Amino acid sequence: MHSNELFLKDVSGFLGGYYAAIALMNGIAAVILWQRKNQPGWAIIWTVFASFMMVLGSLALSGTESTVPALPEAARNLVNSLSGPVNYTVGTTVLLVAFFVYRKFFVQPMVAWTLFNVALLLMGLSMADQNFALIVMKADNVPIVGLVFLLAFFTWVATKQAVVNDERIARGEPPMEKVNDEKVLVWPDLVYTELICMIAVSAFLLAWAILLPAPLEEPASSVKTPNPSKAPWYFLGLQEMLVYFDPWYAGVVLPSLVIFGLMAMPYLDFNKKGNGYYSIAERKFAYLTWQFGFLELWITLIILGTFLRGPNWNFFGPFEYWTPYKVEVLNNVSLTQVFWTRFLDQPIPVAAAGSSALTQIGTILLREAPGLLLVGGYLVLLPPLMAVTIFRRYYAKMGFLRYMVMANLMLLMLSLPLKMVLRWTMNLSYIISIPELSLNF
Amino acid sequence: MADRKKMSVAEILAAARAEKAEAAAGEAATQASDAAPATEDAAPATEVAKPAAAKPAAKPAVGKDGGRPSVAEIMKLARQKSAGEAAAAEKPVVKPAAKAAAAKPAAAKAVEKPAAKMAPLQRDTASILAAARSGSKPGPTSKADAPASALPKPKPAGKAKAPPRPVPPKPTRPTVAAKPATTDRRGFLSIAMGSFMAVGFTALSVTGGLFSLGLARFLFPNVLAEPPSRFKVGFKEAFPAGKVETKFVAQYGVWVVNSEIGGEEQIYALKTVCTHLGCTPNWLEAEQKFKCPCHGSGFYKDGVNFEGPAPRPLERYAIQISDDGQLEVDKSRTFQEELGQWADSASFVTA
Repeated sequence: MHSNELFLKDVSGFLGGYYAAIALMNGIAAVILWQRKNQPGWAIIWTVFASFMMVLGSLALSGTESTVPALPEAARNLVNSLSGPVNYTVGTTVLLVAFFVYRKFFVQPMVAWTLFNVALLLMGLSMADQNFALIVMKADNVPIVGLVFLLAFFTWVATKQAVVNDERIARGEPPMEKVNDEKVLVWPDLVYTELICMIAVSAFLLAWAILLPAPLEEPASSVKTPNPSKAPWYFLGLQEMLVYFDPWYAGVVLPSLVIFGLMAMPYLDFNKKGNGYYSIAERKFAYLTWQFGFLELWITLIILGTFLRGPNWNFFGPFEYWTPYKVEVLNNVSLTQVFWTRFLDQPIPVAAAGSSALTQIGTILLREAPGLLLVGGYLVLLPPLMAVTIFRRYYAKMGFLRYMVMANLMLLMLSLPLKMVLRWTMNLSYIISIPELSLNF
Repeated sequence: MADRKKMSVAEILAAARAEKAEAAAGEAATQASDAAPATEDAAPATEVAKPAAAKPAAKPAVGKDGGRPSVAEIMKLARQKSAGEAAAAEKPVVKPAAKAAAAKPAAAKAVEKPAAKMAPLQRDTASILAAARSGSKPGPTSKADAPASALPKPKPAGKAKAPPRPVPPKPTRPTVAAKPATTDRRGFLSIAMGSFMAVGFTALSVTGGLFSLGLARFLFPNVLAEPPSRFKVGFKEAFPAGKVETKFVAQYGVWVVNSEIGGEEQIYALKTVCTHLGCTPNWLEAEQKFKCPCHGSGFYKDGVNFEGPAPRPLERYAIQISDDGQLEVDKSRTFQEELGQWADSASFVTA
């Protein structure tokens, strides 16, 4: 408890400023709403909220345990006990799906502003927790917090424009971009804007470098790996993928396929609509595939890796102490073991010591037959099957080659969530495991 | 000459040319009048020589508008001059056409003289520059020009009078003897570049070869600053049953473990490299497992993987009892379980 008091004294100044900043922001928003947008009702709501934030700020400045606004202990424990890789992934998926399905509701500025304020308030309340603050306020992670908000904002802006355009198109009107297609000159308009941005960003980076110095660590040693050991933030999605796959697949094949797939995208896309303007309704398949690959399979994994993966790459709740001694039972089995010992109740086939290379290879193939058949069927049988069922229209429009490339890229992309689900539900390590040849899938 | 300091290089050159030209013109005139009495038939030949010598030299002094000559003008003059020179120089060498046969001895004499006299004239800067310029243009200006400019330029004497053109039509007949040795810059460059390239690539390959040899040498240094691959870790008694010794990790990257394997108590040395992506796992005494901080791979005390993405067990180093009874680990040999190498008696010591 003593350390918590010290921590609160430390953090109270920051929290006071934080709440004051939220209050100021909402005050400005209220003035704009009142004078420019003529929405006095909302203006009053945000003025009240701003004064509430001022109260929270002054309470936070006091710096004592009883007064600093924080989430109740019970709520924190509940969040911790509910968090885990499965709940996290399912939760984010449900959230993203809800945002997508009810996008017409969420793109309203006042709804978004409310959500933004709630997120900021929750973050302020959480930062009174030592464990949470330790991770979120780490110099490495501060920009990632900023990036999360920035990404949410840009996704919201794009969705809003798409929703507006979709409504216009449904009414038979041209999209907004066609209406406001006023030309902007490169010189001086664009170049001046870029100059101003350059100066502003330089000033920002300068201030940042002074205020948040990079955390320097001890000299590197090949026999001492920091715990936890984290990749740079933009590769944390990759590190999370590596938890479920052999390095050659998650570290080499999948990233190459991502790059290849991004390059192939314009050639696979046969939908002429949505060119030069935002639209979701006109390009549902393209939009959903992209957002699934980007938001679900990359961004959420980065957030997971940054804030929720602790020592020994164990999963920790947002208010949990990062102890290296956390025990998680993760006894994995390979499909080979499941198939031979549990399903057939037989010993796993092993080539006798000193047998010829051909016998050994034959034994390995027999041993891995279920996995090989499964993966082979997934990649060879599923594309034609999808061509005559769910993707019939796509197959007709794309032709054999383009369809096959698209189907295989999609199946390989889906191999990541499938493998994750298999790991969580069956503790499955590998579908094909041939450690003799370092070939595991 | 005091205002020369204020002149540009081109102006200085022009002034020099003007001075020399005056002298040259006078000389050429006297030579021509000397030759005149010899024979009336020689007159056309001397006339050829006269403008060739006098005209180009006199002209550059003043540009079109009295200022510095433009590049085009310089080029034009240079071409005219070279044409004249070629005409003058060729006469004695190239056999004249049948038409001129009658006048041959006298004409040849007459021309020879100015040609010989003109030779010292060429030593001045202006002439050398002009000669260099006349040799070739920087590049072909048209398709028709390209093959023509690649050939030597012998010019018949009669052509000198014709108005100068940017691309004089030339006979395709290659006349090696007529080629002015000093003026063909393109030929010189091609020879020079050719040889430069050859020298450059030879030097590059030699350097590359030497560098590779040096690199190979660097990879096998005389002295290794790393700990020896064979080292003693102590007597058997220092490793009680069930103990994982972690004190050799920092220096040697090895755990020495005493554990029961298949009903037999063995001491073996595990390599501290995760078989997933090569991080160094930690030994967790309370959980009795090796746990990798990078992706959460877990290994039992015997090194067999059981959680996380590691696809195969940790590797063992060779271990043996040395002459003095101490355990000796040899890092130069490793044993992999999935290849059935843990059965090798060099991979463990019976406790």
